[in-house]
Amino acid sequence: MTRISRDRPFLALIALLVAAALTMGMLGGTPFELSRYLTNAIGQLAAFAVLALSLDLIWGYLGILSLGHGLFFAIGGYAMGMYLLKHSFAVTGTVPDFLQFMGWKEFPFYWAGFDFFPYAVAVAVLVTLLIAGVFGYVSFRSRVSGVYFAIITQALVYVAMLLMFRNDTGFGGNNGMTGFAVIFGWPMGTSATITALAVVSLLVLAGVLVGCRWLVGSRFGALMLATRDDETRLRTLGYETLRLKLAVWCLSAVIAMIAGMLYVPQVGIINPRLLAPELSLEIAVWVAIGGRGHLVGAVIGALLVNAVKFWLSSAAPDVWPFILSGLIVLVVLVFPNGLVDLARLRVARPMGPKRLSAEIGEAR
Amino acid sequence: MKSWRLPLLLVSVLLLATPAVAEPLDRTSLIAALCGGAGQMGEGASTLIATAVSGSAEERAWAAPLARAVLDRDLACDTSGAVLVQSGVDAVSRTPREAGEKARKPLASLKNRATFELADAALALRSAPDIAARAAALKTLERRPANVPEGLLEVAAASEPDAGLREQIDTLAQTAALNSSDPAARIRALSRVADTPSRRALTKVSALTKDPAYTANAEFRQAVDAATARIERGIAIGDVLATLYNGLSFASILFMAAIGLAIIFGLMGVINLAQGELIMIGAYVTWLVQQGLRYAAPSLLDWYLIIAIPVAFLVTAAIGIAIEAALLRHLYKRPLMSLLATWAVSLFLINLVRVIFGTQNMQFETPFYVSGGVPVIGDFIFTWNRMFAIGFAVVTLALTWAIVRKTPLGLNIRAVTQNRDMAACIGIPTRRVDMMAFGLGSGLAGLAGLALSPIYSVNPQMGQNFIIDSFMVVVLGGVGTIAGTVVAALGIGQINVLIEPLWGAVAAKVIVLLMIIAFLQWRPEGLFAVKGRRK
Repeated sequence: MTRISRDRPFLALIALLVAAALTMGMLGGTPFELSRYLTNAIGQLAAFAVLALSLDLIWGYLGILSLGHGLFFAIGGYAMGMYLLKHSFAVTGTVPDFLQFMGWKEFPFYWAGFDFFPYAVAVAVLVTLLIAGVFGYVSFRSRVSGVYFAIITQALVYVAMLLMFRNDTGFGGNNGMTGFAVIFGWPMGTSATITALAVVSLLVLAGVLVGCRWLVGSRFGALMLATRDDETRLRTLGYETLRLKLAVWCLSAVIAMIAGMLYVPQVGIINPRLLAPELSLEIAVWVAIGGRGHLVGAVIGALLVNAVKFWLSSAAPDVWPFILSGLIVLVVLVFPNGLVDLARLRVARPMGPKRLSAEIGEAR
Repeated sequence: MKSWRLPLLLVSVLLLATPAVAEPLDRTSLIAALCGGAGQMGEGASTLIATAVSGSAEERAWAAPLARAVLDRDLACDTSGAVLVQSGVDAVSRTPREAGEKARKPLASLKNRATFELADAALALRSAPDIAARAAALKTLERRPANVPEGLLEVAAASEPDAGLREQIDTLAQTAALNSSDPAARIRALSRVADTPSRRALTKVSALTKDPAYTANAEFRQAVDAATARIERGIAIGDVLATLYNGLSFASILFMAAIGLAIIFGLMGVINLAQGELIMIGAYVTWLVQQGLRYAAPSLLDWYLIIAIPVAFLVTAAIGIAIEAALLRHLYKRPLMSLLATWAVSLFLINLVRVIFGTQNMQFETPFYVSGGVPVIGDFIFTWNRMFAIGFAVVTLALTWAIVRKTPLGLNIRAVTQNRDMAACIGIPTRRVDMMAFGLGSGLAGLAGLALSPIYSVNPQMGQNFIIDSFMVVVLGGVGTIAGTVVAALGIGQINVLIEPLWGAVAAKVIVLLMIIAFLQWRPEGLFAVKGRRK
């Protein structure tokens, strides 16, 4: 704990998140409350930050780049969407759109029980662990790593997207699920619900951040860094890296799933676009821009990029892709460790020897 | 209901089978017959049909309007013959005259009406001046192949100037012969139909198993069964060939998309996420060349695909070299960062093209050498646009192989791929080799875009459809080997095409991915990875 107490950026970020959550919670219902749009945006940003943390854990601290984290994000999102639809159906009796589209009389059998929230969470966790576990096990066992792993994960999320685009899968198909009316008995779309969701998201973000900080600061975290930097040597020393990698990979997948569960009630829709390879790539971009291998950096990257995106996608939608690509190039060339470099006012020279040694683990 | 149809059919077949009138047509008595009672009108109609089959050109031209006139009640009969009311001419002499006071318009009975329709279509098929009218007449005849007068289609086919329509007439002739009254003719027709197997032919032949002759006549039954077996065999062969051909063309596209990626990946471990966009730019350059030719040299327009080859290669190679020099040069030791950087480039290129050209699909001319195809056997058509893609891929493969194996640049590329540090030690300018190789890989992507433009829709998003498939090819094939890329492209292409008809395109993608993951358990470095080259 002494090390954490000296980590000022981390403490500042936690304090900021908790303070923001408290302020929003206290101001809710008073004349000083934030606009609904802003509150909602803050909540979504928090969900994205959790997603970025999940990728930073596996990429920044274990050196495994996944370009398929959108898959786990979407699993959480779909589980939440299924809960919301069944819940809304039970409360208001409105038939979900996707049943109407398909002309079905009732929910497919695998929707049973989803009106019970703990069941939905349990199913989401199990599915995430199953997919992440099996995929991670076969990949890490055959030592698929680096660029190969990135490509396979991207193919995985792409295939999942193709599957979910089909209307006969019973998950809403290409239209996705929408029309959520109530959440935990409260009507969706009211200021109180929006504020509550944003506050919960911020608190979850703070909690995940503390958890991750504790993990990477522990002995286990030291092993993670050692695996990233020289897995062969670690194995030679007798450490079982397969189990370690698998454990972190599954943990990361579950965190991404939680982010999905936070995200869907705030946007009010879930569709296969969440599984597009572009989104999964963008998560890596947030982490890279913020600072890979720094939990604070990942959060800042996700918040910054998405805040700019929120602003620009309404102000100048055509310009946004150019700005994003410019940002990526800038960060990759000038700040090889992301904006964390900027904070330390240490602009790296391209291809400096120090950077080479810092990146050597990645080259494998 | 059914019971009256058979006698009717027999009667009409008998009527139609009257021996062709060799003697000149008696025009006056024909008109009299048309103005007579139901029986006489029926005879008149069969005379008209006989004229359509064996009359002289002049007689046919004279008879052509008559059947239609009866059907439209346009024929007015009076004491001195008949008048075609619409054109106001005498039916026999075709000189202008008015119809008499007590003119009567004959009404074809229900039975005669069908015969007159047949006569009208037969005459139109023989003597209508424009092709559309002849095609329409053929459509009418096709509705009742059993009633088509014998000999009509043969003579019509012989005099038909249009090849397409002639083929249709021949097909109908076969069908008609299948239903003819002469068992020997039917058996002959069966073997002719079986010569060109197709699903349509199979439906026609298998319909004959319900024919009364099938149970009554053993010889006929044998002929039908033999023809069915032959057609089924032909269709099966055709289906196998079609699957192979489609798989081959898909594989050639995959190969084109992946070979540049494989060279770049093998050389520097960089996955170029902008490769799909370089393909897209290659297609757009092809489009620009086409537009340029349209204005500058319209006579060369058909050859734009050929003329665009060097242009597409050079433009995309230049873009690739620019990307390499500006960005990737600084990221060689950081392959995952170069992945993100090339993704930024791809994002930039997609949006640049979207801003400049818009999001709609580009319109391409279809030159004669990529349009149409040759029907081979069964339902397999050897289409030229796919053949173009296959041929293009083969030529590209040969050239790439020659460059990598036979030129000093290729020698350097192979040296750097195998051991970058050692190559640098013996004086190979690795940075320049990287640049050249990146240019080569990018140029190959541009060529892929060109080869795709006659087959796929060209829009800013098109690159994304190939990038994941081409990754799979590279991962499966192993880094940077041409042979691996070829084998992996062939394998993935064929598997995709084999699975798609069974379970659909999505299942094909899922299965291919699962197979690749399973395969990597066995060979993590891909098919053709050389041991000890990369750590």
